[in-house]
Amino acid sequence: MVVTGKALPRRTFLRGLGATAVALPFLDAMTPALSAKTKPPVRLAFLYVPNGIDMANWNVAQEGSLTGELPRILKPLEAFRHDMIQLGNLTHNSGRALLDGAGDHGRCAGSYLTGIQVRKSTVDIKASVSCDQLIANEIGNETRFASLELGMDDSRQAGDCDSGYSCAYTNNLAWRSETQPLPPILDPRILFERLFGTDADMTPEQRERRTRYRRSILDFVMGDTKRLQSDLGPTDRRKLDEYLSSIREVERQLERAERDSIEIDPGLPKPYGVPPDFGEHFKLMSDMLTIAFQADLTRVATFMMTREGTSRSYREIGIADGHHPCTHHQGNTDLMEKVTRINEYHTQQLAGFLHKLKNTPEGDSNLLDNSLIVYGAGLSDGNRHTHEDLPTLLIGRGGGQVQPGRRVIYRRETPMCNFHLTLMDMMGVHVENFGDASGRLDLAELG
Amino acid sequence: MQGRGAALPPIGVALDGDLAHRLDGLLAIALFNGLFARGESRLIALSLSRPSLRGAQLVEVVSAFYTPRPREGVGMVGMPEGPMTAMSDPPAAAILDREGPEGPLYEVRVKSLIDTADNAVLIRNMLLAQHDGNAAIVLAGPATGLVRLMKLYGARPQIEAKVARLVLAVGAFGADAAPDPAVAADVAAARTLLEEWPTPIVAVGREVGEAVAYPAASFERDFAWAPAHPLVDAYRAAGEPGRDVPATTLAAVLHAVHPGAGHFDLSPPGEIAVAADGRTTFTAGGGGRHRHLIVNPARRDEVVRLWTELVAAPPAPRGRRGGPPTAANQPPQPPVPPTRPPAAAP
Repeated sequence: MVVTGKALPRRTFLRGLGATAVALPFLDAMTPALSAKTKPPVRLAFLYVPNGIDMANWNVAQEGSLTGELPRILKPLEAFRHDMIQLGNLTHNSGRALLDGAGDHGRCAGSYLTGIQVRKSTVDIKASVSCDQLIANEIGNETRFASLELGMDDSRQAGDCDSGYSCAYTNNLAWRSETQPLPPILDPRILFERLFGTDADMTPEQRERRTRYRRSILDFVMGDTKRLQSDLGPTDRRKLDEYLSSIREVERQLERAERDSIEIDPGLPKPYGVPPDFGEHFKLMSDMLTIAFQADLTRVATFMMTREGTSRSYREIGIADGHHPCTHHQGNTDLMEKVTRINEYHTQQLAGFLHKLKNTPEGDSNLLDNSLIVYGAGLSDGNRHTHEDLPTLLIGRGGGQVQPGRRVIYRRETPMCNFHLTLMDMMGVHVENFGDASGRLDLAELG
Repeated sequence: MQGRGAALPPIGVALDGDLAHRLDGLLAIALFNGLFARGESRLIALSLSRPSLRGAQLVEVVSAFYTPRPREGVGMVGMPEGPMTAMSDPPAAAILDREGPEGPLYEVRVKSLIDTADNAVLIRNMLLAQHDGNAAIVLAGPATGLVRLMKLYGARPQIEAKVARLVLAVGAFGADAAPDPAVAADVAAARTLLEEWPTPIVAVGREVGEAVAYPAASFERDFAWAPAHPLVDAYRAAGEPGRDVPATTLAAVLHAVHPGAGHFDLSPPGEIAVAADGRTTFTAGGGGRHRHLIVNPARRDEVVRLWTELVAAPPAPRGRRGGPPTAANQPPQPPVPPTRPPAAAP
């Protein structure tokens, strides 16, 4: 790190042993004096939940301002009612059977961000470049990672995961090419090391020594940190302290998770470092995503909270049945209630992530204001496998491009790809056509 | 991807037009019910070619009369976006405003624009679910929506693959052919459609509809099985008791479904030209891709009889997912002759 009298470069890293490099959040010192304020970048994340959502407890009844009581599944997001738009009637026609028979789970996940009808195969897979990757291809060179792909459930890339559809479709959101999905990182430790480059380039001796003494990554960059702090004003020093503290907190969570994974038998084979508790796992992953956004390590992320079609149980909230079997409730009220509780549990986790983003100051606003967080599913009614009126929330203001706090319902059959095109526009990436888009969403309704 | 191994379902037809403004448009929805009951066709998309909320409500009510619980997509009403066309037709009021003992007699499920779909997108989406060459489109209104369909990204190859034929219930090709308001409403679109549409086109002029009109007597005679029927209400409200209903759209649907059945004669190939006032003229030869239907007087009575059998049929039972009726879910019915004669005329 070299600090001069000029503005601090946006791409400044605190460097340490091995390949350790900690990117910095957006600091006032990065704004050149006597010049127009640098506008923080806009970040985009897709958070995906599987098996549809209980739409009766999801959809706000009326268009317009979100003023009334929120539906049950949105209640955990009460604090964000003025930060989100609930979009209605978006449809993925390419998720429908279209003569390909059974396999709605494989199709809906495969088409979710690619916008096309994926090839029904377990071997000869074919999708298309996903919209997040189109964005990453354009703006990814401005950040350390063009994009991040996160998950929490299963990253198998082969085998039959739904009626002849490869697991590559159900387990990935991001596709770099027609045939190359980008598998999500499931293990928080691996994500941490990817973000901060700790163990990867260390010698075995260095790695062993670090493990033995459980030293924080911050210890390795302490020299750079002290030099930087002496050049910062009080506001930036506080921001930096908070930022480094958040990294340390993630480290502590990881250590705790690693201990827990040894002491608690989750009943499932888990990779090293993955907490058995869903909420704790999500918190770790989303905290690191927050840091990645805050430090401008990436501006594009996909997060498959659990894989499409998952039969994961939620013992954390007392549900031993698998998620997927519950969604095929056929009107059984007990099973329907379980689906609703799982959906609620997911939005509770989302709320934690949003809190973190909103409580992260950036420029004159906060990280959530400068983000576009899309939360949704590739099916609406999981019982009937419907592909219209897909549950979709857009949270954040995209750096002032979106005016949230509303319910917007589009016409029936409005392609989800219209939304994708609009998001690409807001990320500064202009694409003429995408998937089955028939146009853009009316920006006046979003912005 | 094409499905393999199973027999093709009956041909799927998308119907787009001024359906709410012409009685034969509403009768065509009933005709599809009759064809569906015989396993001869499926109505895959239903749309207005001009924006009208009242029109969408009317069409949806008639559609829902036959298909109360439509599956995804089917049963939805499409129309283009834009300023709503005024509609004060008595038939619409007779249906939409008719009160029963406990409120509105017919449930109006289309409340606002968001309950409708873009007609071009709706037709595109439904075509994608059809086997190659097993779909047809009937247009009974301005061509605006179909031209937009052609221009949708990636749609043209799908149209070429899926659509066997386009049948136009517009224009007039008789001796005293007058301008057609549906053509005049968007002359540019009509010309573009005729020039650029990638499949064979057959036009059904007004003179055909008038020659094989739907008999007025049928409304009082053949719908008695229903305590209240929206088509009977619409006919009565039209205020011309005893007048047969020109059946241009019905003829177009029948030809779209059974082009080789010989119900009508066909002109030789040629070119249809569109004048600025909406007048259409047909010129044979010239390597043209267009044809138009010609009434065969010897078959006229048979066609009219077919209308009443099919249009006045009760709602067809539906399969579990809205598909064609099966022996298991179809109540016993008297045998009816197939629409397609055993020995199809050329």
